[in-house]
Amino acid sequence: MTIVPKRLGVKFSLKQSPPLQPADIVPIFQRWIQEHRVEGMLIDVIDYKHVPDGPGIVLIADEADYAYDFGYGEVGLHYVRKRDLPADFAAALKLVFHCAMLGAQALQAEAPDDLVFDYSAVKINFLDRMNYPNEPEVFDEIREGLTAILSDIYGAPAGLSRVHDDRRRLFSVRAEVAAETIDLEDIGARLQESRQRV
Amino acid sequence: MTSWKELLKEKIPAEMGNLIDIYEAQMELRKQGKLDEKVFAEARLRKGVYGQRYDNGQRHDGVRTRELLYPSDEIVKGPDTLWDAPGMQRIKIPYGGLTAEQLEVLSELADEYSDGILHITTRQDIQLHYVHIDDTPDLMRRLAAIGITTQEACGNSVRNITACTLAGVCHDELFDVSPYADAMTQFLLGHDDVQDFGRKFKVAFSGCAGHACGLVKMHDLGLLAQTREIDGETVRGFTVFVGGGLGTVPHQAKVLADFCTEEQLLPLTQAIARVFARLGEKKNRNRARLKFLVAKLGIDEFRQLVQEELEIVPPDPRHTDYIDGVSDFVNAPAKAGMALNGAALPAGFAEWYRSNVYKQVQPGYSTITLNTPLGDFTSEQGFALADIARKYVGDNIRLSVEQNVVLRWVADADLPAIYRDLCAIGLGDANAGTIVDITTCPGTDTCKLGIASSRGLTAELRTRLLERINLLPDAVRDLKIKVSGCFNSCGQHHVADIGFFGNSRRSGNHKMPHFQVVLGGQWQENAGSYGLACGAVPAKCVPDVLEALTERYVAERAEGENFQAWVKELGRKEIKAMLQPFTKLPSFEEKPNYFSDWGDSRVYTIDDIGVGECAGEVVSLFSMEISKAESTHFEALLALDDGDYALADENAYKAMVLAARALVRTKYLDVGDDYNNIVGEFRSRFYDTELIYDRFAKGKFARYLFKRHAEVPARIDQDYAHQIIDETQLFIENVHTAEQRINGVIVG
Repeated sequence: MTIVPKRLGVKFSLKQSPPLQPADIVPIFQRWIQEHRVEGMLIDVIDYKHVPDGPGIVLIADEADYAYDFGYGEVGLHYVRKRDLPADFAAALKLVFHCAMLGAQALQAEAPDDLVFDYSAVKINFLDRMNYPNEPEVFDEIREGLTAILSDIYGAPAGLSRVHDDRRRLFSVRAEVAAETIDLEDIGARLQESRQRV
Repeated sequence: MTSWKELLKEKIPAEMGNLIDIYEAQMELRKQGKLDEKVFAEARLRKGVYGQRYDNGQRHDGVRTRELLYPSDEIVKGPDTLWDAPGMQRIKIPYGGLTAEQLEVLSELADEYSDGILHITTRQDIQLHYVHIDDTPDLMRRLAAIGITTQEACGNSVRNITACTLAGVCHDELFDVSPYADAMTQFLLGHDDVQDFGRKFKVAFSGCAGHACGLVKMHDLGLLAQTREIDGETVRGFTVFVGGGLGTVPHQAKVLADFCTEEQLLPLTQAIARVFARLGEKKNRNRARLKFLVAKLGIDEFRQLVQEELEIVPPDPRHTDYIDGVSDFVNAPAKAGMALNGAALPAGFAEWYRSNVYKQVQPGYSTITLNTPLGDFTSEQGFALADIARKYVGDNIRLSVEQNVVLRWVADADLPAIYRDLCAIGLGDANAGTIVDITTCPGTDTCKLGIASSRGLTAELRTRLLERINLLPDAVRDLKIKVSGCFNSCGQHHVADIGFFGNSRRSGNHKMPHFQVVLGGQWQENAGSYGLACGAVPAKCVPDVLEALTERYVAERAEGENFQAWVKELGRKEIKAMLQPFTKLPSFEEKPNYFSDWGDSRVYTIDDIGVGECAGEVVSLFSMEISKAESTHFEALLALDDGDYALADENAYKAMVLAARALVRTKYLDVGDDYNNIVGEFRSRFYDTELIYDRFAKGKFARYLFKRHAEVPARIDQDYAHQIIDETQLFIENVHTAEQRINGVIVG
């Protein structure tokens, strides 16, 4: 059985470079707290736009963080689940994937013409070096199971690759599916159903 | 599934591991409601585990104050500090010195427990924010495995000992102070004589008098390198300053001793600590820093008391053991020194070289400063920086009090290449040490005491100044700006040319964020003088105020006149008049943006200000010490549950000795750690005198200790382990009761 990492993150990147500046995101995230626009016990917004290729603007919640993230030069929505992950890895990944997708969709709704996410590619970050050291053997071990879970989510086969070779970095996996196979409504429905089962 | 504790057990020094285990047990006891919240708060702070804004479960979202419903809402980690609320982990980096490996592990921790950001403080620490308390023991273990401790990073303790980043490579220093800062760090860490302060205690070392260096004059204890000719030999030593400090009431330190030798350094420091522990204020934390004691007694009387104390400080080989190692202290290049060889230079190199490169006293080498905006860098930058360090300088990495990273011992011929490599990871910005390199505390971003957004203001000023840095005259370009989010001076605004600290004013029915303007502080000469508070202006006016000030300075200054002299010449009255146009407050309807802080779209409020943990609670020495006995007893219980009866016995016995020691130390501070001494002192002071006697059981509980101390049990099985654990519990209760009876108060 695949161990559930201590923290698990999913990032969707934008399709094109964004016309919105990071500072524009601060009032959006502040409003999300007021209106409870995304799920979680939302706490505060922190601004790291002064740091290149950093976490950008982060909406801190008790159990997770939503970041308008610039990591590795890719702008996107990174959802990191810090607590309350289900004990089953597939359920955990589906939960995190769903929350990240809902966060990205909520952000896209704020500026539909300027923020377009590419849901056909996803980066999955395992923030747990003890259980998930960034080694090829770890990738080999989880590849099959991860492929199955992602196929279940997407309803289509996903190609996987390890993001970095450097063993100091977090273990991260990039998954891609053919863009034309993406149906967000279907994916959302499947994930919702999965969460209800849990 | 394994654990970090298991994985790293061979790499963690036993004493460090034990302290972390005790802390983890204290966490468990607190969660079970068996450890007083104030005692736990101080124990937590002494581990560098600090509260953060909104940890009282409330936050104003711009419309209303909203309750933050943390899952374990009944459990607190200190007064009004909810268990699940994110907190800050402060990590001590003595004199800012880091190895490449340490930088990598710090970056890993930022990834896994924080938000991927490492923040450099004005005391050369690293801070990680938004850390859950449950993660802190493992975080500490991973640090301990690479020789870093968080012990006494906060709370009423000796904070990170700082030193000039140029120590050992500077043209003007008398000698490298780094090994002395290191020796003092090791000596004072966990020392019995620094456990009973009413407030924190800050120490700094400086190699020369003229530069800013270690800022010794704004410290509780400042050590300035000196040499003397004695019997024809050059002897190293220090001028000793005491009683300096910033905070709300800044004090310049006074000279305690013109010269103390390296042999006298540690015993003298110990004597100062003992006087401070004995006579320093304990009840009113606003008057509890050493500066108030020195001011109250006068430097002459304080000096006399320290001298008397010095004569009774118990001999300790550690006072001088370190001296033999001073000359071996690592301050060496990773590569041979080479001059720049005339190769083509990358674009931007000249500007960077001008502001970020310091030619070392050692020919062919330079020290470079990495301009780290707001003191922040990412974990990814941390990994890449570790690679760059290994490639060019080895472990010669330091953090500065100006919140930058410094790489020492760069061969001059490598400067273009290292510049290229730094640019590639976003750390090649020029202008280190200039007006754009602004120092700032966390302010309202994360600090419970923050009144205005120091980081928001700093980011704004930095952006605006960078746009026109090349147009600024040198006199302006080289000014220092420092920003604090409140009057507590964590951003060191008193020692900047131009300082700002957050406050607020009312306009109509709304509060408006403001910054007090503090002008003419002196960074040089070890923070030689403090600035003048000249009036508060709305936060949104600060960029315009800065422009007005600098333009007038350039226009009116006499040739060669520095900013401090110009401010003094101009006078407070004239400056106030200059600021006056900015102090007129618009109404909310006129300028609503004035009622939001920099970098924050919410309508401003001061409702989020909480109770600071900077000083911690003033908790009695006994309470802190007995809590260690209780957590060790808890460890014994865990061992019993695990079936490890020998360990259960060992911990139970240790818990009894620690409890006895806690009581003994209320009367005799120097009892030390030797079990025989502790038990002997306990017997003569509390058992023979019947002070420990229970009303009904008399001396029965104390005899549990004596019995176990006298003989190791022949057979240790489950029944025995159970029995000694029960006896230990009874003995600890007995000690508690006796202490209340004898001393009257537990929590001060």
